[in-house]
Amino acid sequence: MTPETLLITVVAIPGALFLLLGLIWLIGGHLPEKTIARLTKIAYVVMTLMVVVLGWKMWQKGATSIHVNLGNWFTVAEYGFPLSFVVDHLSLPFVGITVILAGIVGSFSVRYLHRDPGFQRFFLLLHLFSFGALVIFTADSLDLLVGGWEIVGITSVLLIGFFQYRSEPVRNALRVFGTYRIADLNILIAVFLAHHWFGTASWSGMFTGEWPGHINNLNGSAATVIAVLLVFAASGKSAQGPFCGWLARAMEGPTPSSAVFYGAISVHAGAYLLLRVEPLIRSSAIATGLVIFIGITTAILSTLIHRTCADAKTSLAYASQTQLGIIFVEIGFGWTTLAIIHIVGHAMVRTMQFLRSPSMLHDYHRVHAAAGGHFEPTGDHYESLLPKSVQIMLYRIALGRGFYDALVDRFLIAPVVAFARLLSLAEPGWVKVSTSASSHPAEMPGALTQMITKSEPKA
Amino acid sequence: MTHLSLPYITFGLAALLVGAVITFRRAELGSGRKAATTSTFAALLCFALALWEVNSNHGVRLLDPWLSWFEADALDSVPMVFFAGLTLLFLALAPKRDTGGRALAGMLLLATATEVTYAASNLTTLAIGWWLTCVPFVFSFFGSPPARRVVSIFLIGSSLALTFAIVALHATSLDDFSHIGHLSMWMMVVAVALRKGLFPLHSWVVTSFEHGPLLPTALLFNGHLGALLIARSEAVTLPGFAHQVLDWLSIAALVTALIASLRGCAEKKPRRLLAFICISQASFILVGLATANAEGITGALIHWLVVTAASSGLIAIVRILEVRVMDVMNPDNNLGLAVKAPRLATFFLICGLALIGLPGTLGYCAEDLLFHGALASHPYLGIALLVATAFNAINLIRLFGLLFLGVLPKHVIDIPDALPRERWPLVACVVFLIFGGLCPSIAIRWRADAANIIETALGHGKGHPHHP
Repeated sequence: MTPETLLITVVAIPGALFLLLGLIWLIGGHLPEKTIARLTKIAYVVMTLMVVVLGWKMWQKGATSIHVNLGNWFTVAEYGFPLSFVVDHLSLPFVGITVILAGIVGSFSVRYLHRDPGFQRFFLLLHLFSFGALVIFTADSLDLLVGGWEIVGITSVLLIGFFQYRSEPVRNALRVFGTYRIADLNILIAVFLAHHWFGTASWSGMFTGEWPGHINNLNGSAATVIAVLLVFAASGKSAQGPFCGWLARAMEGPTPSSAVFYGAISVHAGAYLLLRVEPLIRSSAIATGLVIFIGITTAILSTLIHRTCADAKTSLAYASQTQLGIIFVEIGFGWTTLAIIHIVGHAMVRTMQFLRSPSMLHDYHRVHAAAGGHFEPTGDHYESLLPKSVQIMLYRIALGRGFYDALVDRFLIAPVVAFARLLSLAEPGWVKVSTSASSHPAEMPGALTQMITKSEPKA
Repeated sequence: MTHLSLPYITFGLAALLVGAVITFRRAELGSGRKAATTSTFAALLCFALALWEVNSNHGVRLLDPWLSWFEADALDSVPMVFFAGLTLLFLALAPKRDTGGRALAGMLLLATATEVTYAASNLTTLAIGWWLTCVPFVFSFFGSPPARRVVSIFLIGSSLALTFAIVALHATSLDDFSHIGHLSMWMMVVAVALRKGLFPLHSWVVTSFEHGPLLPTALLFNGHLGALLIARSEAVTLPGFAHQVLDWLSIAALVTALIASLRGCAEKKPRRLLAFICISQASFILVGLATANAEGITGALIHWLVVTAASSGLIAIVRILEVRVMDVMNPDNNLGLAVKAPRLATFFLICGLALIGLPGTLGYCAEDLLFHGALASHPYLGIALLVATAFNAINLIRLFGLLFLGVLPKHVIDIPDALPRERWPLVACVVFLIFGGLCPSIAIRWRADAANIIETALGHGKGHPHHP
């Protein structure tokens, strides 16, 4: 197999699995857990081997990158949507951690979700997520990256609402989706503006040379606008800056999905985007300053909140957010190699922590016993160096999670809803009905519903 | 002028009419479904053959050999097939209580009228078709729901405006655009605004969704006759003033898209929320048609198909759920129906995500082209469309959550998931949206000729400013 074929096959396998399993289920078929588990394990082992072979072949040839151009996905007049992929020194580590960690999480989930009613749904979404993530990391243009970006976003939301029979996950999933959509607006506008102003959104059009050391081709205030938009888009995906409130809400999903999304891959997609367009960001002082500012402020706030969280997963979420803030700062300072090492290490450790979090108490007791039963907290923390009044103030801010949700509710959501209600003034009440439901007999519920309604158990 | 080899359009329309006549007298619920689906399937085949012949002749306009008032060309042949398919989908999916003889006849009559409008080879036939679409609502084919009167008033108002525009156009010449000519263009815009429910005239569509018969309303909405009229107008070389009027219409469509998407944020009733999402997304078509570039126009024409397929799937699922669970009409809390109806939930999600342009679906390709076209034409239009899509996406997930996620009400003990009769049409919808997204070139090829004609005519018109 040529490296080009390997690359395409690695990206296509989870997509094909998703389509296959999805279609079988939709037309009424049912696959047993064992079959799904085997298919998943085989697929991810094969993908991991392929990535290893791909890396080895690149190393053997001394190639800095491999480009695969499948032509245009669709073409109209002079505009074409490029279907081209790239694997280089930046994307290879990301592709590697994606297939390895998604495989590990898949394998873990076979036992974790055994006999769960959503078993098949989880694996469907896991495959779709892997496909989306691989598209992000191998896309040779911003256009294609957006495709993967949105797929990862929607699978993330559906997995947050995985336990659909409880109201909290559903509410949080909607909130996360809203945040994603607002953040994703930035990347969409950036793509269209890049096409509009510079006539390209492909990496080869935006930059000259191979990563690292590629040179920015976009200049002027238009380039700054695009860079700033991309920084905000990356912040949305990595729960940074103005979009820092959603990660804790995302912990409502099953633990394996928390591990793969919010510990390992999804949250690092924002950092990947910044690394990919790093010369564009570096060419603008505003964008560079913004990345560093967002990173520092989020890291400080998140580490404070992390210290006051009562449950393991939320605590891990804020710890992830802190590390991502530091990664943003590293990218802002141009330390790209350090950022990649940090990302890979962080993804590995965090995935392990998330997967172990259901057994955290058990682990703690084991460590406690191993220490001879004298494993007492010292109480020595850096914050104890601060004056008492400052400590109390920071504690209050941390306990209120930076008052982020309250601020968003009051200054963003409430005005939008109020404006939407105001718009209803333009809608005259054409129909006066006495009941909330339609009074038209044909539209009323029938015998089946009546039967169901009558069978309601008496309190 | 070349003709079709056989009178496919006459046959197709006759099949629909015969179906309407047969089902009209059937008193028992559901007894006319077989006749209705058979006649619609026959019509679908006829229109598909007409499409095949048009494509073989590179999109050339072909008149019906028997009735020369009808024609098939690059613009109308695809929607004709699509609309027949849509009617078939609704007839198959309709819950038993919606399949009374008169209701089925009404849907078939609505389909006939819409197909007449599509296939019209002149403005008079188009106006007749436009008027005929009012008949099932005015003459209570779907009973007397509370919204019947308001729907009838708006449909008749729209038909009157169109008739006035056509009469005025006949009275003047296109080359010498007098005040009457100006007035006729504005009346055409009024006809479109009334029909499509452009802001601030959108509320009747919402009322119709909420208080009207849902499936016939969806059929009426998805005819997209307003878009057809604009596409037809743009496909002929109009003077500069007419283009300015159409530009105003596109701005009205953009405002509608934005306001409907925002307005949905304050809605909780599934039917109303669905109405706002559909109105907003359907308004994109008019914006795209006004971009005057190949990307925008092709995007708009494909988005037309996407809105038709996806919104029909969504509406049909809401109706299916309504007859199973009373609370769907006006839920107090999330209904959590995905536990009992996971397949319906999946179909709903796929249709919805395709409607708002999830990558991998045909909606994504359509919106990508549309946004590129809009941005190239008017940069701020493109950005405003993106904002509207973001709000629509949030509204859609809210609606999905409201219907399918959350705690199942205690009284809903058991409801069936998608029945085989419902499953296959929905699978067809989903397959179209997903495989259309994986291979969008096929859909683009269907619409390329029509887009070229419109783009050429618009470019020509805009290149020759009008001097009154």
